[in-house]
Amino acid sequence: MTESDSSNRMTAKEKYPWITSFLEGWSIFRQNLLGKIGLVLLIIFALMAICSYIPPWISPMYNPMTGVDPEITSCTPPSLRHWLGTDFMGRDILSQLLAGARIAFMVGISAAVMSIVLGVSIGMTAGYMGKFVDTLLMRLADMIMVMPTLLVVLLLSAVFGQLNIWTIVLIIALFRWPGVSRIIRGQTLSLKQRPFIEAAKVAGASHFRIIFMHIMPNVLPLAFLFMTFRVTSAIITEAALAFLGFGDPGTVSWGMMLQWVWKTGHMFQAPYWLLPPGICISLITLSFYMLGRAMDEVLDPRLRKEDQTD
Amino acid sequence: MPCMNAKQRRFSCRWVLILACATMLLTGSCLVSTASAANILKMGLLQEPKTLNVWRASDRWSRKVVGLMYQPLYVRDPETLKLIPWLAAEPPLFDEKTLCYTVKIRPAKWSDGTELTSEDVAFTARFINEFKVPRYRSKWNFVKKIETPDKRTVKFYLKEPKAIFVSRSLTTPIVQKKEWTKLAEEARKTKKPLKRLLNEKIKNPVSSGPFVLKEWRQGGFLYLQKNKHFFGTGKKIQGRLLGPYIDGVIFKIYGTSDASILSLKKGSIDMFWWGIQPGYIEDLRANPDIELFQNEKSALYYMGFNLRRAPFNDANLRRAIATLVDEDFIIKRILQGYGIRMYSIIPPGNAFWYCPDVPRYGEGLDREARIKKAFGILRDAGYTWDVPPVDGSGKVVNGEGIKLPDGKPMEKFTILTPPADYDPHRAMCGMMMQEWLRMLGIPAYSKPMAFGALLQQVKVRHDFDSFVLGYGNLSLDPDYLRNFFISTNDKKRGWNMSGYNNPHFDKIANESASAMNRDKRRNLIWEMQKIIIGDVPYIPLYDPKLIEAVRKGRFTGWVQMLGGVGNIWSFCQLKPM
Repeated sequence: MTESDSSNRMTAKEKYPWITSFLEGWSIFRQNLLGKIGLVLLIIFALMAICSYIPPWISPMYNPMTGVDPEITSCTPPSLRHWLGTDFMGRDILSQLLAGARIAFMVGISAAVMSIVLGVSIGMTAGYMGKFVDTLLMRLADMIMVMPTLLVVLLLSAVFGQLNIWTIVLIIALFRWPGVSRIIRGQTLSLKQRPFIEAAKVAGASHFRIIFMHIMPNVLPLAFLFMTFRVTSAIITEAALAFLGFGDPGTVSWGMMLQWVWKTGHMFQAPYWLLPPGICISLITLSFYMLGRAMDEVLDPRLRKEDQTD
Repeated sequence: MPCMNAKQRRFSCRWVLILACATMLLTGSCLVSTASAANILKMGLLQEPKTLNVWRASDRWSRKVVGLMYQPLYVRDPETLKLIPWLAAEPPLFDEKTLCYTVKIRPAKWSDGTELTSEDVAFTARFINEFKVPRYRSKWNFVKKIETPDKRTVKFYLKEPKAIFVSRSLTTPIVQKKEWTKLAEEARKTKKPLKRLLNEKIKNPVSSGPFVLKEWRQGGFLYLQKNKHFFGTGKKIQGRLLGPYIDGVIFKIYGTSDASILSLKKGSIDMFWWGIQPGYIEDLRANPDIELFQNEKSALYYMGFNLRRAPFNDANLRRAIATLVDEDFIIKRILQGYGIRMYSIIPPGNAFWYCPDVPRYGEGLDREARIKKAFGILRDAGYTWDVPPVDGSGKVVNGEGIKLPDGKPMEKFTILTPPADYDPHRAMCGMMMQEWLRMLGIPAYSKPMAFGALLQQVKVRHDFDSFVLGYGNLSLDPDYLRNFFISTNDKKRGWNMSGYNNPHFDKIANESASAMNRDKRRNLIWEMQKIIIGDVPYIPLYDPKLIEAVRKGRFTGWVQMLGGVGNIWSFCQLKPM
């Protein structure tokens, strides 16, 4: 390696400091077994979600919602034609499972992003502004935090009829921001006492600029960490709603699959239909949780083992 | 015990005696209770009855229990389904000149031991008319006068001839005058007497049926015990010697079918009084302790349209949709074969009134042929598409951008269904219909919603496009055909939910209601069916078969009939094995 190469690399690192911090984080993450398992599982589910477009393309009978095998009119165990068997109408269970992965990602990530955006914005505003604004926003957060999400969604569903998947995502997001906002507020309270914030104030930066240009970059890693946990809770809430019969009937989600197994009386008769969605729900939530734990370690040096911090 | 003195011995003997007596008593009482338990039928229900007030009992769970206590004058024979005298002693006599029905009643007693007389029957009818009891009012409001010449005879004078009088009016449960007079007097003093009566909590109903209420522990169980004053005990009616031969019936409440079926398999209940989902059938069939019964229902499950608003005020669109809806698919796959295809509003099992000669949309066609036919109907009616569902070469493609004959694009519309939690079949039907209609470019959206809210939207507010609903227990008298579609019933909470309005149909429907000649009435009923299926305010979908499961080896004598084995004949004839 020549001297000029080395100086070029230094320049790149200086130019893009996030690359350095990412690489540092990645090296810590790689040493975490839980994180690695979580990531592998997540990649598998992501592949499943991508592959969900393939079966209907092979044959219309693999359409997860409307496709039925013309020769099968009841629940059948796995076969070459249907690797996970068919449901009570002769629909392919594997196609439904793949489509369910897509819905799980969509629901989980959308709801988590929305709740994080809300939680971070409100948390930063409350922490930075303090006084009346802080009190008002945090009491609002307390009020929402104590509301049982599932019950409220069930009530809304009873009043307005079945909710579509995006409404469900929105409701989950609206009920899941207070936890994030409390953590972000705490972090903001600490950050706003730091000299660089004082310096920004002295330089004449507006509140908006201080919050979004100076505080936000410092709380974002924490927000991303919480996002992994929010994904888990969103997926579980959607699955519970669908299982109880309040999901979006137009989508094939894992919760919906479980509801079909239950309502058609195949709970104890068709394990090949019952187990796959159940296992998938458990594994995908587990994978996000593992990922979250590993990221926790990356972001919080106190959690690292001694040999990792060297 | 050498050191025990006489006093101590006497004391010990006394204790031994007391203990022996207590043991004997306990053993005896256990034996008695065991014997009683063996003679008590244990039934599983999915939900708790809401009330034991016969006038308010509109939910099916209350009706099941109330039906074992309050009895009508006439019931259906389980084999012929003809009306036969029950509390009545003989068939009613009709005098055409005076429009008077004379009914003789059997010697019978109420559960409190008092005599059941013609006064009770007359009181029931007058009560319904005075307070306008919702479920029964339409069956009695044409009765002009009621006379009770003696305590066994009742004469009903009608304002006009009414074909439904015997089949609908005389099958009303009879209540005790003594019990309800007090309640009626109290109700009259209030501003809303009917509301007061309907809200009345009947804790100890006085009834005349084979069973009376013993105990109702809400949230736990409901126990009916044998009525020792039941008029049928020891009597032969229609060649059937009636009991009841069991000591009572306990209703246990389970929230789900899974829990009920597990209890049935374990022997905690003798019967699950609800239709078994096809998914459970194979497992239950393989169980040597379970017996399955399959019976037909008099039911109608259908798709309805709101004819009050566009685009469903166009019969061509309704006919096209009827062509697209694949009833065979629904029966074969969604109902797993446990259903009968409906071509008319009247189920085919009701052979006398069922008209086989009605239009059969899409029968025998595959999906592609259905789309082509429906496309043809709409194209001829002036509908256009951005992308027609059948291209120039006759190939079926996904239709897009359907436009009404006036050139306006068809707006999105919803198919309301009960949620899968309430009825998975109807929810799934809505889903499949949505997909079938979209193939033609029709922007349909299935929307399951809570059953109560759905009824409110359809029946009360009339704020809907289309819906999938059903009648699980249709009367065998076809008068409902008139009720469902006559224009006078197109009102808030009225039976004509679709808003169908056809003066020609109204005329025939009213004629049918007053036609006392059965054959003449049948011709009119057939004509009505042809009109309705031609105009398609409803698309009849299916009549589900009823599968019920009972435990073998405990009781014998289940009587199968239309509507299942949970009928009054079974309860009067079941014997412990």
